Amino acid sequence: MSELPPKTSLRRWFVTTNHKDVGILYTITALFFLIMGGMLALLIRFQLWEPGAQFLSEIAYNEAVTTHGLVMVFWFLSPFGFGFANYFVPLQIGADDLAFPRLNALSYWMYALSGILLGISYFQGGTLSTGWTMYAPLNVPMYTPSLGSTGAILALAMFVIGITASTINFLTTIHHSRAEGMGLMDMPLFTWSILATVYMMLFAFAALLAVALILLSDRILGSIYFSATEGGALLWGHLFWFFGHPEVYIVFFPALGVMLELFQSFSGNRLVGRKWVIIAICLISIQSFLVWTHHMFLTTINLEVKTLMMATSIGISLPFDLVVFSLIYTLIKGRIKFTTPFLFAFGALLLFIVGGITGVFLGAIVLDYEFRGTYWVVAHFHYVMFGGATALFGGIYYWFPKMSGKMYDEFLGKVHFVIFFIGFNAVYFSMFLAWETPRRVFEYDPAFQPMHQFGTIGAVVLGLSFFIMFYNFAKSYVSGPDAPDNPWEYTRTAEWAVSSPPPLENWGGRPSYASGKLEFVSEALTPSDDHDGPAAATDGGHGEGHGDDHIESYPYWDKHASHASIWPFALSLATGIFFFGLSGVSSSIDITTADTLFGTGITVSNPVYPVFTALGLLGIIWTAVKWGLEDFYAPPMEIAERWPFEGVEKVKLGMWFFLASDVIVFGAFISAAVFIRVAAGWYTWEPLTDSLPGLINTFVLLTSSFTVILALVYARRKSRKGLIAYLSATILLGLTFLSIKMWEWHHEIYDVGVTLTQNSHGDPVQATIYYVTTGLHGLHVVIGLLIAGFLLVRAWNGAYQEDPRPVEYFGLYWHFVDIVWVILFPLFYLF
Amino acid sequence: MASDSIKLYALVYVALVGLATSKFVFFEFDQFFTYEQAFAGTMGAAALKGALIVGYYQHLKWENRSLTYLMAVALAFALLLMAAATYSIT
Ligand SMILES: [Cu+2]
Repeated sequence: MSELPPKTSLRRWFVTTNHKDVGILYTITALFFLIMGGMLALLIRFQLWEPGAQFLSEIAYNEAVTTHGLVMVFWFLSPFGFGFANYFVPLQIGADDLAFPRLNALSYWMYALSGILLGISYFQGGTLSTGWTMYAPLNVPMYTPSLGSTGAILALAMFVIGITASTINFLTTIHHSRAEGMGLMDMPLFTWSILATVYMMLFAFAALLAVALILLSDRILGSIYFSATEGGALLWGHLFWFFGHPEVYIVFFPALGVMLELFQSFSGNRLVGRKWVIIAICLISIQSFLVWTHHMFLTTINLEVKTLMMATSIGISLPFDLVVFSLIYTLIKGRIKFTTPFLFAFGALLLFIVGGITGVFLGAIVLDYEFRGTYWVVAHFHYVMFGGATALFGGIYYWFPKMSGKMYDEFLGKVHFVIFFIGFNAVYFSMFLAWETPRRVFEYDPAFQPMHQFGTIGAVVLGLSFFIMFYNFAKSYVSGPDAPDNPWEYTRTAEWAVSSPPPLENWGGRPSYASGKLEFVSEALTPSDDHDGPAAATDGGHGEGHGDDHIESYPYWDKHASHASIWPFALSLATGIFFFGLSGVSSSIDITTADTLFGTGITVSNPVYPVFTALGLLGIIWTAVKWGLEDFYAPPMEIAERWPFEGVEKVKLGMWFFLASDVIVFGAFISAAVFIRVAAGWYTWEPLTDSLPGLINTFVLLTSSFTVILALVYARRKSRKGLIAYLSATILLGLTFLSIKMWEWHHEIYDVGVTLTQNSHGDPVQATIYYVTTGLHGLHVVIGLLIAGFLLVRAWNGAYQEDPRPVEYFGLYWHFVDIVWVILFPLFYLF
Repeated sequence: MASDSIKLYALVYVALVGLATSKFVFFEFDQFFTYEQAFAGTMGAAALKGALIVGYYQHLKWENRSLTYLMAVALAFALLLMAAATYSIT
């Protein structure tokens, strides 16, 4: 552990794990991507000045359209919202930091560096040109052959890894670190909206990760999922939109949370129907997973599914209506203060209503036949997503004084709002008027030219309005008046109860809402042998004692919270290098197969990419080990509200959230296998392989699950010998599993003639599915073995005698991998 | 707290091995079982095995029930995706 350098030191920003620092990093980086995405938008608008090609070539225009969409949806909207979430969720719930501070820094660096990978992809022979929806089969190398296309998808995959880590972190934090007396229903509405967002993210982004991995397998390894005629294109539609619809609410909800917060603060009124708004938010989160085929109304899927999801899509507008009416009534009943933050929040509501109503048209099958693929869609989702994001700009004005300690200039803020609002409607309302223009195409009916030119002028105005904001913030930060703790008259949330900006450790005493309002309890904590102390009283758990974190090894009177680690940055950098290498590895290495394994010829035409891949992989392993060995202390929260996860330890809770997301990852892979087999005709396929090696491997993995649980039992009994013996047995069994797998693959390839793309028995895609799905499982086994090896070395040196929980957490993962095999075995060896 | 009884874990292990073998038997002796029966039996055995591993080896049986609901929701979403996508092309 290293000390945290001062804010003026550049080094601080690379090592910090503090949630407020990370929040600022997110906010600034997201604004950078706003500028990048905005530049791309202007390129598109200038191209539309006249019908037909202007200064951009066809492919360059497609690339601009694609990266504009990707950057705005992924690299700007969500991270901008999560800058605030990082900074203010811990403050609003009375926590010291997020549950896993280093993981939080890792999320940020994965995000920032993945954006750089996306930028690099432009220089790898051109980036992706499919549109942000990346539809199959346009997304396979035959139609988008550039290395940069693969690079862009790898960047997206890296971004999703960061998102997954962040999701687990926020879920664990909100469920584990709420101050005393802060029940779930007592949480501020911004925190509520973030909670709903991260629940949707947990499941939705896992599906995106799965579909990105499948696509990368197609692009890098040469598998043929999405070029398969057995439903490959429809498969992409299902997997992508299962993620894609919830994604709309994932980007909108943080903005909604800001809206709810600001409507209260500037109407001086509690939200009308608060409880019902929370219920509506929960309902929307669940319903968001039940509507995805409304993006597939023009495909050949059957009318039953379309009709069903048309009904659910229309139904999802009902809870939204409730939220909108609650916002309106809150204003009617309150006394409004027209500050800059409020103007943006109110503008967001107006824009969102326009976006919502025009979306209902698209949710009806018959109308969608007319509107699909037109500028109606483009206008609609900009009103929803950018309209919603308007509230986030309200949020940045609202919280700027807290984050910077300075007041912004109110007059300039209002000027920004007026110009922004005019520019916004000029661009996007003109799209409704010229709605018959085909989307993603620069060729259009000259009759619409005045509308498009009006829109382009609007876009320039809209873009320029942001420079007023940047100027305002820069000038205020340098020479603005100091902000008081609470510059707003009527605020209810805890971030306004501390100084601007808040101190590193957030609170003077322990925050508590036990009396119904926020108080700071100053307790002289005294050393005590009673490990069933105060936490157990609130945990009401299962008699485990609180045993939270390293309380025995790190008495609290002797240990300060850590706020600095270089390993999140280092691990992300290694991952970025690895992914950069992967983008070009398949074009740099040529593998020729022969009749036997030893006849395989490998020619390396360009060593750069393979070298980057290898270096990145070594870097990942090295930094992960350093991370595991680092002495980093995140203090346990002794007293906290944890409903509905009382009695579950912090890391264990995080582990279960991770496993829940991995259920979706494997669920998507297995869904893909089932979907394609049904498309091909279920009974036309026979298992590719003999069932015996699969059965033997089933026994091997089951046995290894048994040895893992025995390792835990012996660790609990403080038997170093037993722990080492059973960990070693587990590793040996894992290696046995992999060896049998290798033998099986070798047999398939050289004796039977089944390769990734060839199948002497039938459909080639069957071979693809078999290798890729069991390969992903094998990769999980390999990662498990690396962790087990790490544990074994540590156990050899005497670790885990006092605290066997790492063995338990590893076991949770290992058993999960075992369960996946329980499904894969019949699917590929018996059915 | 989770059990520390090696005997219990060993019993679970024996049950798991038995269930795994049953899947093989369903498909190996196809003179007794139709494909559909073997399929149903195998899925049943797989579900039971999964439940045993989650319940005992991952000791979800002794944990806060909310963790079970969390995993049930994840499983439900995965099954929904599979069912709706597959049904949509029938
Ligand atoms: Cu949708």
